[in-house]
Amino acid sequence: MRSVPLPEATIERTRDIRRRGEIGILAVTVALAAFGVLMVYSASYYSAQEQTGDAFFFMKKQLIGFVLGSVAMVAAAKFPYRKLIKLKWPALIVSVVLLAAVFIPGIGVENYGATRWIGIGPITIQPSEISKYGFVVFASAYCSEKPERMRTFVGMLPVLAAGGGICLLIIAEPNMSVTMCTGMIMLAMLFLGGAKIKHMIVLLLPLAALVPVLIIMEPYRLQRLYAFLDPWSSPQGEGYQLIQSLYALGNGGWFGTGLFQSIQKYRYLPFAESDFILAVIGEEFGFIGVVVLFSAFGLLIYFGIRTAAKSRDVFGFMLASGITAAIAIQASINALVVSGSIPPTGLPLPLISAGNTSLLFTMAALGVLYNISCRARR
Amino acid sequence: MSATLLRKRLFAVLMAIAFLFLAIFARFFIVQVIDGATLRSRAVEQWTREIPIIAERGEIVDCNGTVLAENDASYSVFARPNAIEDKLYTAQTLASVLSLDAEQLYARLTGKRVSEVTVARHITKDKTTLIESFDLPGVYYSRDNTRVYPYGEILSRVLGFTSTDGLGLTGLEKYYDKYLAGKDGEIAYPTDLVGAEIDGVAVYYPATDGLNVRLTIDYGIQALAESAVRKLYEEYSPVNAQVLVLDPDTFGILAMAEYPSYDLNDVPREDSEKLNALSRNNLVSDIYEPGSTFKIVTAAANIEEYLRGNPAAYSLQYRFSSSRTRTVDSTTIKCWSTHANGKHSNQTLAEALNNSCNPCFTDIAMALGTETFYDYLELFNFGKPTGIDFSGEAQGMLVTESAVRGCDLARIGFGQTVAVTALQLACAGAAAVNGGYYYQPRLVQEIYSSDGTIREELPAVLKNRTISEEASKILASLLEGVVANGSGSKAYIEGYRVGGKTGTAQKFENGAIAQGKYVSSFLGFFPANDPQYLALVIVDEPQGAYYGSVVSAPAAGDIFRGIIELKGIAPYET
Repeated sequence: MRSVPLPEATIERTRDIRRRGEIGILAVTVALAAFGVLMVYSASYYSAQEQTGDAFFFMKKQLIGFVLGSVAMVAAAKFPYRKLIKLKWPALIVSVVLLAAVFIPGIGVENYGATRWIGIGPITIQPSEISKYGFVVFASAYCSEKPERMRTFVGMLPVLAAGGGICLLIIAEPNMSVTMCTGMIMLAMLFLGGAKIKHMIVLLLPLAALVPVLIIMEPYRLQRLYAFLDPWSSPQGEGYQLIQSLYALGNGGWFGTGLFQSIQKYRYLPFAESDFILAVIGEEFGFIGVVVLFSAFGLLIYFGIRTAAKSRDVFGFMLASGITAAIAIQASINALVVSGSIPPTGLPLPLISAGNTSLLFTMAALGVLYNISCRARR
Repeated sequence: MSATLLRKRLFAVLMAIAFLFLAIFARFFIVQVIDGATLRSRAVEQWTREIPIIAERGEIVDCNGTVLAENDASYSVFARPNAIEDKLYTAQTLASVLSLDAEQLYARLTGKRVSEVTVARHITKDKTTLIESFDLPGVYYSRDNTRVYPYGEILSRVLGFTSTDGLGLTGLEKYYDKYLAGKDGEIAYPTDLVGAEIDGVAVYYPATDGLNVRLTIDYGIQALAESAVRKLYEEYSPVNAQVLVLDPDTFGILAMAEYPSYDLNDVPREDSEKLNALSRNNLVSDIYEPGSTFKIVTAAANIEEYLRGNPAAYSLQYRFSSSRTRTVDSTTIKCWSTHANGKHSNQTLAEALNNSCNPCFTDIAMALGTETFYDYLELFNFGKPTGIDFSGEAQGMLVTESAVRGCDLARIGFGQTVAVTALQLACAGAAAVNGGYYYQPRLVQEIYSSDGTIREELPAVLKNRTISEEASKILASLLEGVVANGSGSKAYIEGYRVGGKTGTAQKFENGAIAQGKYVSSFLGFFPANDPQYLALVIVDEPQGAYYGSVVSAPAAGDIFRGIIELKGIAPYET
């Protein structure tokens, strides 16, 4: 990494030349998403056959998401990212409105005791998956307008307000894990935007104090915490999911049981095709498979960071690093949950888990990342 | 706001992510590689449903290999509701083949929270094949045991029976269950969470079949004993009739028969009171006042003491007082006989045995004294279990040596004020006439596997000596005289040296003599010079006749005659 000063955006604007970007971003994204379709099929064909009579039920949905996501990615890759600056407010407003819409009866869809989706006809979307990237766009735009104001406490407050508001809406669904994920993205944006460390500490302390309160507020969180600390004490209750996930990973061993050979997917492991798809991957491809998969994520993150480092303006820097951070944080949390390192929460593995909203917007975001890389310095 | 700061922070983020990824790899390494085997072994348990393979229960055979208990191949039918596709059809099909109630079965198959239903047990091979032809998913079969006793009523109280699950419940089936039972195996089918079968290889864990048990019982002699008790029961309508045949050289039990009996293949399981009564082995578990058969022990003690030079003991030439009564502790003891017309006068010990004269044995007991006499009761193992390999053995009742009064001792001398099991009496009798060796009685001689390998031998175990060889020989010849010339004459067999002693005891009920209720017994053995067979016949409350000499001695004679024929024993030659 060279310590060349970032050129000002005003200079950059005069040299808007289309160039070939970091093609690896697109290649790895498509490869991961395609692998996701395959794994969604492997993890779900049995339960899909049992529940819907169609073994391809979830796989077909994921395939649609993959196609739509690819289209969105290509479109985003061609769309000059700097125009997104103008979407600063719309991105935030759309995010907030969609999140709020979840609570409107008749539109919000409840599942497993939480209202996390909105349903429009046959389509259900998960607004929290959109708001993540909406926030990244807003924060990037805000920071790049006057980068100096991030150094002041008051100057960074709007980023905090936007992120905090989105977090509050998500936590009301409730959805702890996505809140955590969004909160961490917010912190990453503040950090990358240049906020002073002492300001962040002032903010973090009350937030840290809030965590126990949030846990106690919902009894199920406390139970999950206990279950995490000792899953074997309630193998049929709260500890069940974690135990099943660990069984899957343990069964995988070094090299896994082979594609389609997972046993845990025979309805033992809940959410095998969505939040816990990594457990099935770990079972079928073993520790080596997990390392290869996360190396692919690592490569994608590396491309993202490099794009940020080489971007010619602060907006590109913030947007690229924000998108990268979102994917890195989400993938990490998912891996930590699946391996029983942190309490179980429902968070999809980006690009892999079943869920079209997440797939579509993640691929679109990666298209944006590619577009930034096109305009990066060589 | 410098670009350098942002670059530094970006680098810091990259480092943080790199660190996080390494931590993730480390965590997955621990879970998948280090803990993998442990987790997998735990998971395996939930991945399969097991169908048991019932181990084949061991056979019970007599000393010559005649099978007394074996198994018919039968099958159990199980259903796993979650794996059944059409529950109504399955219920109807199974119900029609197995003659079950279709509605009830359907209700069981649709019941919640049950992962496996036992549809039927002990089904014949034909019916299983028929069910198989319907190819019903979710229906499974497994080999089962149906216990079969080829001779039904024979030895029923000794063999005992098993539960429908093949668990030994009574008798030898219970006592030797740990050998007979074997270890069940299973077939583990891979299934999904709710038990529906999935593709995969079923794992077969074979069952370990049970071991076979070889008895000391000789089926041929047992059959003789069985017909003897049946005949006694028909003739005298007693409460029951019992026969015990013992090999005096080893104390191996050759026959143990009792009537009324029951068919082991048709156990009256629903009537528990009746079942309890019928499955009780009274020869081992019941105690009774033996009466005159106990005089064998008294005579043995006297002869041994005499030979040892105890001046208190009577010689064989000594003539006992002819009086009908003895007075001890101001209690008068009478002989069963009136002693009228010169009966029971000037008797020697031999004659006292022939006549079964009570006062003579009172004299012996009193002469030897409590200490010496109790030494012999101890040597003949009264008042304690014999240690036979059978559950529920009673130990009898013997007044403790410190508490015994003179009038008690006077009665114990001829078999009253003492209660013994038939087994104790037979063993004591054998140990008196076999040269003076008391072995631990046993029903089983060895445990062997189906390929014939002997796994465990239960040899004759000498517990203690009782009397000397010489004393034993003398006693045997005196008892031979009882059969030749005295009260045991109905057991006499021309050309064979049979010895024995009769017994007629009045029964006590609620502390008083029960009028007209007797236990008639006979303890016999042959050949008297080297006893090979000892039989004890007990008839509880015979109707009509009640003397042991009339009721029980002929039965012993019949049994001995049967043995002679069965074994081809040549007559005695002078």
